[in-house]
Amino acid sequence: MKPIIETQHLSKWYGNVLGLSDVTLEIEPGITGILGPNGAGKSTFLKLITGQIKPNIGTCSIKGKRIWNNYPLFSFIGFCPEQDAFFDELTGWQFVTGLLRLHHYSSAEREDKAQKALEIVELVEDKDRVIKSYSRGMRQRLKFAQAIAHDPEIIVLDEPLNGLDPLGRRKIIRLIKSYKGEGRTIMVSSHVLPEIEAMTKRIILIHQGKIFAQGDIHYIRDLIETHPHIISIKCSDPRRLASNFIQEEFVLNVKFSSAEKTLLVETNNRDKFFSLIPSLSVKNNIEVEEITSPDDNLQAVFDYLVGK
Amino acid sequence: MVQDSKEKLSFFLSSLKDVYTFFFFMGKKSKKMKIFFLISILPVVIALIIKINQFFSDRTPIQGIYIFNNMTVVMYLQFLILLLALFYGTSVCSEEVEGKTLTYLTTRPVAKSAMLIGKYAAYTSLIIILTTIGVTLSFFILNLNDLLNFSLYKILLRDVVVLSLGLICYTSFFTFIGTIMKKSILFGLIFSFGWENVIQYFPGSTQRFAIAHYLKSLLPAPKTGRFSFLMFRLEPSPPLLAVFMLLLITGVFLGLACVLFSWKEYIFED
Repeated sequence: MKPIIETQHLSKWYGNVLGLSDVTLEIEPGITGILGPNGAGKSTFLKLITGQIKPNIGTCSIKGKRIWNNYPLFSFIGFCPEQDAFFDELTGWQFVTGLLRLHHYSSAEREDKAQKALEIVELVEDKDRVIKSYSRGMRQRLKFAQAIAHDPEIIVLDEPLNGLDPLGRRKIIRLIKSYKGEGRTIMVSSHVLPEIEAMTKRIILIHQGKIFAQGDIHYIRDLIETHPHIISIKCSDPRRLASNFIQEEFVLNVKFSSAEKTLLVETNNRDKFFSLIPSLSVKNNIEVEEITSPDDNLQAVFDYLVGK
Repeated sequence: MVQDSKEKLSFFLSSLKDVYTFFFFMGKKSKKMKIFFLISILPVVIALIIKINQFFSDRTPIQGIYIFNNMTVVMYLQFLILLLALFYGTSVCSEEVEGKTLTYLTTRPVAKSAMLIGKYAAYTSLIIILTTIGVTLSFFILNLNDLLNFSLYKILLRDVVVLSLGLICYTSFFTFIGTIMKKSILFGLIFSFGWENVIQYFPGSTQRFAIAHYLKSLLPAPKTGRFSFLMFRLEPSPPLLAVFMLLLITGVFLGLACVLFSWKEYIFED
C-alpha cells in the first residue's frame, strides 16, 4: 500500500529542548496509534505532520507534497487538537459551519456537512447552545465534528479521549473505528494504552522524542526477543504440565495462578513454547482449556520499551 | 501562467471573503465588542451632558460644530481610535495564540496571509462602524439646533473619513506588533500614549514619524481656543501626501505582518 504520510529524519527542537529526533516513518491508510507518555513528542509529531510547526531537520510530506505552508493540502486533512480551546461565544452549529466556510463551501453545502458531522457525534440536539455551556465530553465530540465535517481523507486526532468519562470514551472510540473501513488514514495519539489498543493494533511508540518501535502489536512483541513473555494456561493438571515445562531451556519461570487450574509460564521463545504445548498435552493426557498471553498488550510492550 | 495567476488571485480573494465573513460575525457577537461599544459611546454621553447643560445655562452657548471639532481630536483622534486599533489590531494574531484557537485556522485550505488580512479587515470594519456611530450621534446631538445647515455634514463626512483612515492605519501597525510580540498591548500603550502624543509636537521632520501627524494634516488648521494646542502642527504635510503616507504605512505593516504570520511558528504555552 502506498504511504500517505512520509517523514524523513524529522527533528524538532524548542530552543534547547528536544521535541522530536530523527523520525523516519511511512504511514499507510488505516488507523495508526501514536503512543507515548506525556511529553514524549506525540503532539510535536502530529503538529509537524499537520504543518503547524516546521521541522529543524528533515522533511514531512503528505501525498508526496511538503506540508509546511502548503495550505491546499488542508482540504484533505482534518485535525482534532489536544487543547480544550474553542471560540466559546459561538454555538456548536456556528463553530462547525464557520470553520466549513474556510473550506470555501457554499451555504447549502456547509449546512449539509455540519448537520451530518453533528449527527455523527450526536450533538444535533445541542447544536444551538453556546460552546461554553457544553460539557467536556460534548466539547471533545465537537472538536471531532469539526475535524471530520469536510470529509477529509486524513484525520489526525491528538489525545481525543482526554478527560472523557468511560461512556464518552466508548462513543469516541466507536466513532474513530467507524472511519477505519472507509479507506481513510487516521492517526490517534494517546498516553493511555488500553484506549489505543481498543482502536488499532498498528502503533508507533514514541519516547523522549524518539521512535521506540512501530508496527503491529504482535510484530513489536516479536522484536523484543529478549523480553520474556508470560503465557497463561488453564488445564486439567497444571502441576504435571509445569514439571514438564521446567526442563526446557526457553522456560524461565513457572508459577501457579490464583485462578483455578491455571499455570503462568514465562518464556523467552514464544514460538518454541507454543509448538511444545500440543505434544506435552497429548503425552501426559492433559486437557488444555485455554491459552492466553496476559502481557501481550500495549502496556507490557510499552513498559518494557521505556525500561520500567 | 496568466491563467494560473488569475486562478490564484481569485482563490485568494475568495478566501479573504470567507475569513472576513467568519470574523466579522464572530467579532460582532463577542463580549469585547460590547465593552468597546460602551467605551465608544462615551463621547455621545459627554455630548449629551454638554447639550443639556447648554439648555439650562444662561450663558451664550458655544457653537456645536466647534465642540464637535474639538471632540473629534481630543476624544477620537488622540484616544478612542488608538484604543480601538490597539485592542483589535494586536488581537488579530495574539487572541488566536493565547486562546489556542490558531490550530483551527491554520489547518484550513486558506493562505495564512489571507487569514490575517481577512481578520484584520473584519476587525477594522467593526471598529470603523463603532466609531462612525459614536461620531455621528455626537454630531447630531451637538448640532441639534443647526441640523438644516447642510455644510456641516461635509465636516461630519471629513471627520469620519479621517478617523477611518486612522483606524485602518493604526490597526495595521498593531496587527504587525501583535504578530511579532507577546506583550503587544504594553508596547502598544507606550506607542499610542507616549510616542504618538509626543513626537507629533517635535519640530522639523521628526513629527513625520507619528501617524497622528498625517491624520492631523487632513484636518483644518485650528482656530484659537481652549483646545487649539492639541491641533498644534508645525509643518503639516499636504493632504494628498498625508493620505498616501497613511496608505503606505498600512500596506507596509500589513505586508510585514503577513510575512511574519506565514513563516513564524506559534507555540502555545501550557
